[in-house]
Amino acid sequence: MMQYQDSSEPKTPETFHIALLSAYAVGVHGIESLIPMPIPWLKIGLANIITLTTLLLYGLKAGMTVTLIRVFIGSLFGGTFLGPAFVLSIGGGVASTLVMWASRNLFGRLLSPVGVSLLGAMTHNISQLFLAYLFFVRRIEAIMLISPVIIMLGAITGAFNGIITTLIINRIKEHRENQK
Amino acid sequence: MKRIFKDLTPSGIFNMTTFLDKVLFLLLIALTIASFFFVKRFIQPGSLVRIMSDNKTVYVLNLNEDTAVSVKTPLGENVIEIKDKMVHMKEASCQNKLCVHQGWIDRGAIVCLPNKVIVSVGGGGGDSKKYDAISR
Repeated sequence: MMQYQDSSEPKTPETFHIALLSAYAVGVHGIESLIPMPIPWLKIGLANIITLTTLLLYGLKAGMTVTLIRVFIGSLFGGTFLGPAFVLSIGGGVASTLVMWASRNLFGRLLSPVGVSLLGAMTHNISQLFLAYLFFVRRIEAIMLISPVIIMLGAITGAFNGIITTLIINRIKEHRENQK
Repeated sequence: MKRIFKDLTPSGIFNMTTFLDKVLFLLLIALTIASFFFVKRFIQPGSLVRIMSDNKTVYVLNLNEDTAVSVKTPLGENVIEIKDKMVHMKEASCQNKLCVHQGWIDRGAIVCLPNKVIVSVGGGGGDSKKYDAISR
């Protein structure tokens, strides 16, 4: 990683880490769309593992950068750029990143990454439902009918992502301590 | 790899989460279960009975309220009755009376072609929604 460092432009290792994490997020996002799901619009939101890891290790600016890069590049690869799915994706991504950062600062050690991930998943789903209602569906009964299912799936996938994030962060912290 | 499986046991997951995490998770699951009941109640009044005469909506009635209405057109008269969440064409001035013979329905439509009267049941939607989805 460090061998790419250009002497003309001084860069901190952190910038490289964020670039690498963005690439991971795009990759995970792409691979996730290949996993067959029982319901077509259901997603585990695996890319949120990367967003959350970045957010917890490097802060809001880095987390938001990774989210935006993931949404833009991911939608360009997926062919949904500037389409309805793109609007939902960017709205949900930005809102959930903000809420995860806020909940981390508000609750501190009271919430583990699992709790932060749960709140992030909820925000992602609710903001997407809101955007879908605002721009595409315009039928409140359809939104109300689907929301219990979405809340439940969000709780399960959010918890799963949070557990994976905890494992990743624990490993990274261990590695950092070993290097000292 | 072995460590990953060790961490993913129930006790491993229990140790990595805080009290507030567990409360949050249980709250969301409880909310889901509660909302299944809530949504059912919310959806119920959505069943509307729409009566159209000569392509114009003349009545929009609630399927849950028992009532009877009469629709007079230049072509004839139809009486539509709602009872026990079912609709039927009670009387019709037309010749064949196919609509009367169709009997009670709780979904779909009754059409009286000679008098150009259409009774349709279902959906809470208005006139604006003619398509389920539009693909671009």
